[in-house]
Amino acid sequence: MNNLLDDYALLSPLRNRNNRLKLGVVVFGLLAGVSSTSIITPLFVAFCMGITTVFFGKVPLKLYFNLMLAPMGFAIVGTVVILFFFGSGNEVIAFDVFGYHLVANSQGVDMALHVISRTIGGMSCMFFLALSTPVIELFSVLKSTRIPDAVIELSMLIYRYIFVFLEVAMSIKYAQTVRLGYRDFKTSLSSVAMLASTLFIRSWEQGEKLYISMSSRCYDGKLAIFETRRPIKTSEAILTCGYVISTIASSHLTII
Amino acid sequence: MMTMTILKTNNLKYFYPDGTVAIDGVNIEIKNGQKITFVGPNGSGKSTLFLLLNGTFKPQEGDVQFNGKALRYDPKSLRNIRKNVGIIFQNPDDQIFAPTVYQDVAFGPVNLDFPMDKVESNVNNTLEYVGLLHLKDKPPHHLSGGQKKRVAIAGVISMEPDIIILDEPLSNLDPVGADEIIDLLNELNYFGKTIIISTHNVDLAYRWSDYVYLMSGGKVIGEGTPGKVFDDTELLKMAGLKQPSTLEIYHEIERRGLAIIGELPKTVPELVGTLKPPELMWVNVPHGTQEGDTLNLGIMYGEYAQHCPYEAVNAKVLHIHADGRAVVEMMRKGMRAGCIIIYDMDSYHRNDLLELIDKSEIDVVGAMGTISKNIAEKDGIHLEITAGVIDKSILMALCGKRCLVLTNGGMIEHSMKRIRDYVEKSGINLSVSVVGGKNA
Repeated sequence: MNNLLDDYALLSPLRNRNNRLKLGVVVFGLLAGVSSTSIITPLFVAFCMGITTVFFGKVPLKLYFNLMLAPMGFAIVGTVVILFFFGSGNEVIAFDVFGYHLVANSQGVDMALHVISRTIGGMSCMFFLALSTPVIELFSVLKSTRIPDAVIELSMLIYRYIFVFLEVAMSIKYAQTVRLGYRDFKTSLSSVAMLASTLFIRSWEQGEKLYISMSSRCYDGKLAIFETRRPIKTSEAILTCGYVISTIASSHLTII
Repeated sequence: MMTMTILKTNNLKYFYPDGTVAIDGVNIEIKNGQKITFVGPNGSGKSTLFLLLNGTFKPQEGDVQFNGKALRYDPKSLRNIRKNVGIIFQNPDDQIFAPTVYQDVAFGPVNLDFPMDKVESNVNNTLEYVGLLHLKDKPPHHLSGGQKKRVAIAGVISMEPDIIILDEPLSNLDPVGADEIIDLLNELNYFGKTIIISTHNVDLAYRWSDYVYLMSGGKVIGEGTPGKVFDDTELLKMAGLKQPSTLEIYHEIERRGLAIIGELPKTVPELVGTLKPPELMWVNVPHGTQEGDTLNLGIMYGEYAQHCPYEAVNAKVLHIHADGRAVVEMMRKGMRAGCIIIYDMDSYHRNDLLELIDKSEIDVVGAMGTISKNIAEKDGIHLEITAGVIDKSILMALCGKRCLVLTNGGMIEHSMKRIRDYVEKSGINLSVSVVGGKNA
């Protein structure tokens, strides 16, 4: 289970920065990217976020590219469709494929470029958040919003037991595999069904055990969430301001 | 204070909803500050009994008394009993539910309405105490089995209970991890906590406990000091258990007339202490030796027999055999016992320690407790002993080695007491001293 993004976030040096600042930077980046009329702004956001994630967050460059590759694959397929089937205006590229006449016109090119640059910008913001802020840190931020406590507490318990049941599911699957539970389609189907039903019963039992163990520790309806105080440092504030100003500037100066 | 009864049950009976008898008329009396073990095979009712003791289950008959008062099952009384009787479950994953270690340990204190600064100091102190402070922001699924166990224990200690109950505390732990948990329990007990554990590990129950309850089929079928309970083979057979190996070996030695009859040995050093030194021995003698000559065997110490506790041995030749061997009577020069120095890691300086190792000609260094082990590892101090430290040091000292034990806090007094007890029982004078800290 070493490949979860959350594990990188837990070890990231950026974990120990102010959570609200990080969230703010991400939300700003997303909004700036989507609302900008220029293709430069989202790319600028992507560049800044990428640098921050890789250099300050110490995420291996190769991993970062691999992560970006998956959404990029989808984006490129979508872009190709947009390029040839949307918009009107002057013909930019035109050629024949198997008797079909494919035309990309100026509006289509424009739209395609926007889609792809916004995808890159948005994804880089999301990866920055995912690779710098573990889920456990987000709980404390959620706590200070108006979301009901019950929802947050439930999601905390769910988050914790995802890993417990993942382990159980993996060991059941292994036990099934070594006894040839997945040798063909039919057995696979029944094995998966067994795994699912066992997992359901296990989680039911786990719930009861959890209740006993919580009441053994005087459960009184309180699940503490502590937020470590991490004041924003001057250097971080300056860097963020610089980033915000230059992003806004890029969107104003480069209206294409 | 030491002999006050803190927890008691009267004819406790509990049936499962389907009518199966889980606990069938159990009477126990737990004394304050003791180490109690419930031993029994799987399904003998140990875990159910524990859940009755903290009020999770309500008995159909009989009652549980805490500090002389029968337990009532209204929310306020339940809160009180659960604050004072902490339970640590067998599987830490049943117990650790918060997304980080810190939050899990803080769960109890927060629900007890401790003020926020007390919660904070309690959690930090407890985590430091169990040696996990550096992992406080980790999610539990990143921890090893032993670390999870310690988080579960910390989650209970932070509520400051008088009694700590552990269901199978050593299951699924490697030997070193298990040893660390036992060290931790000993330390807690030393500071006045009553510790109750359940196990089917007879060796652990025999050497660790002050008092043992033997359970089978929901009943207590035997109780008493470990020596009494585990020497009763018929009783053990009834409970589906076997004798602890130390005791088994001792009885085999005894049967062959090689043991000094006395108290039953609990630990390996005590077992070694019961060995009767040989009086007559077959040796190869040089040609021309006469009956009645005195030989200096000299081989029992030094590079020939590094692990032998005797110095040069003189022997009187009693009989010379045809093949050149002889029967000799041993005349010993007594033991050459080594020493044990306990180093207080609270006043640790690397150079002081290295100087001490050098000056005092220390042969063997051991460390007890996670904090000491971590410091030693970080500073590159080679540790020969990391598990069963006190027993091993005593054995080494008996063989004339000079041992240094690195430890801290309450473990120091605890170790001193263990070694002094051994000296008193065995009559072999090992020199023990403490270096550093307030004892310096």
